[in-house]
Amino acid sequence: MTAASEASRRHEVVVGTGSGLATSDMVLNIGPQHPSTHGVLRLRLVLDGELVVSAEPIIGYMHRGAEKLFEVRDYRQIIVLANRHDWLSAFSNELGVVLAVERLMGIEVPERAVWLRTALAELNRVLNHLMFLGSYPLEIGAITPVFYAFRERETLQAVMEEVSGGRMHYMFNRVGGLKEEVPAGWTRRAREAIDLVRRRLPDLDNLIRRNDIFLARTVGVGVLSAADAAAYGASGPVARASGLDFDLRRDEPYLAYGSLDVPVVTRTAGDCHSRFSCLLDQAYVSLDLAAQCLDRVDGLRGPVNVRLPKVVKAPEGHTYAWTENPLGINGYYLVSHGEKTPWRLKLRTASYANVQALATLLPGCLVPDLIAILGSMLFVVGDIDK
Amino acid sequence: MSGVPGSGLAKGLAVTLRTMTRRSTTRQYPDVEPDLPPRSRGVIALLEENCTVCMLCARECPDWCIYIDSHKEEVVVPGAARPRQRNVLDRFAIDFSLCMYCGICIEACPFDALFWSPEFEYAEYDIRELLHEKGRLGEWMPTVPAPPAHDPNGEPAKEEATAAKKAAQ
Repeated sequence: MTAASEASRRHEVVVGTGSGLATSDMVLNIGPQHPSTHGVLRLRLVLDGELVVSAEPIIGYMHRGAEKLFEVRDYRQIIVLANRHDWLSAFSNELGVVLAVERLMGIEVPERAVWLRTALAELNRVLNHLMFLGSYPLEIGAITPVFYAFRERETLQAVMEEVSGGRMHYMFNRVGGLKEEVPAGWTRRAREAIDLVRRRLPDLDNLIRRNDIFLARTVGVGVLSAADAAAYGASGPVARASGLDFDLRRDEPYLAYGSLDVPVVTRTAGDCHSRFSCLLDQAYVSLDLAAQCLDRVDGLRGPVNVRLPKVVKAPEGHTYAWTENPLGINGYYLVSHGEKTPWRLKLRTASYANVQALATLLPGCLVPDLIAILGSMLFVVGDIDK
Repeated sequence: MSGVPGSGLAKGLAVTLRTMTRRSTTRQYPDVEPDLPPRSRGVIALLEENCTVCMLCARECPDWCIYIDSHKEEVVVPGAARPRQRNVLDRFAIDFSLCMYCGICIEACPFDALFWSPEFEYAEYDIRELLHEKGRLGEWMPTVPAPPAHDPNGEPAKEEATAAKKAAQ
């Protein structure tokens, strides 16, 4: 890494000195304000004509100090903040926090709440995937799929809004369970929405997955080897598209995943197209899982939360709770000194690790491929910078 | 890989063609109001009479966007030895330019003075106008919908359970 940055610094000196036929490398900054970077990611590229010689992701433009803020918020207020680092997987983010606190406090969550949480986490995963399934083709020039993706998102979002009141930041998890019981008839309406989306998702599939132009832009582009994916700590669909068969829902089950059969979608090619199709197949799987969870919820009676002490204090100790978020492994390392705020809450986010792999993926590709690769690496800038 | 070249395109165009024959999903928003569920977190309404100035909401707010001022008043109760002290609310304001719409204040309120309303049309040209004083917060009260009934498999709402207990006595 340091050698590469030194090399690029050397290149910077000679920018613009090329004369005649002699060419020199150019240093190009993509971002922080660039539509293809989904926010404020900055890439420092060294270009030889159209060819990327080296690339360095520069992050931190959206750093909000979430970890530091966690230290001065009580456990209910932390959920508000944890919601927001990856704004596309808010439910899963909340989940990690409450799982960590519940483990430290030794709280047994009612079964009904566990199954409801699993169902909502899977719905959240579908919502997240639909966003990328729509925006990724958009970035490489296919405008239509995003409308289909958002039609499905809207259907599922109505379900999430009915239960939690929020469309992105659900704020529905609490330490010990969920905020409140679901409205009467909600499970039926949720199942109807899932069926509708499952019926209409092939539209999106037919529209783009085998589209010849899309294939030309993505097949064989940005190949991430399994070894590289593992070395950079990439996880989620990005790693699974490279053949890393690792999914916490199956390998270290939390919530009710232990009693569910979770099919793990993997690919071996590791290129942009396999990442996209991993995502698409995962959306189908998650819809099935969510429907199964809802069936179980209907068979369970009882509360969805436990009575908590007036001031929630995690006892002294530490724990690491990791969950399979839509974009990959999201972990919270909670250290408590027995106060009502954590002493430290370290955040391990999926996007941060995924985006690091860009430094090996981009060199050797062309500038137009860069957009295809960037979009397929599945990151949310807020999740990188925290 | 796909067999015939262009078959992927044809498949996609078939989807487009089929969609063309269906009704569009466009919502005519400003003309037709969206149908929002009762739990929708649009704006916070204040029922001033219920507020006892306990300050719990202001303290629990993760970004301290609630401003409360009050003074104490003496109320002479006939028959009592000493006049009673009572908190009187002077100012209750929520700064919606800071609010994160988490709902903790509503959850924290022990006297049911704060409610969610699904109303959302209060955008302003000037950010300072988003500071809603108690008059404006009170105006949202009529828009607060009744909470949805709970799933019969779960537990009834706390309010329902206490009301049933009172009725039984």
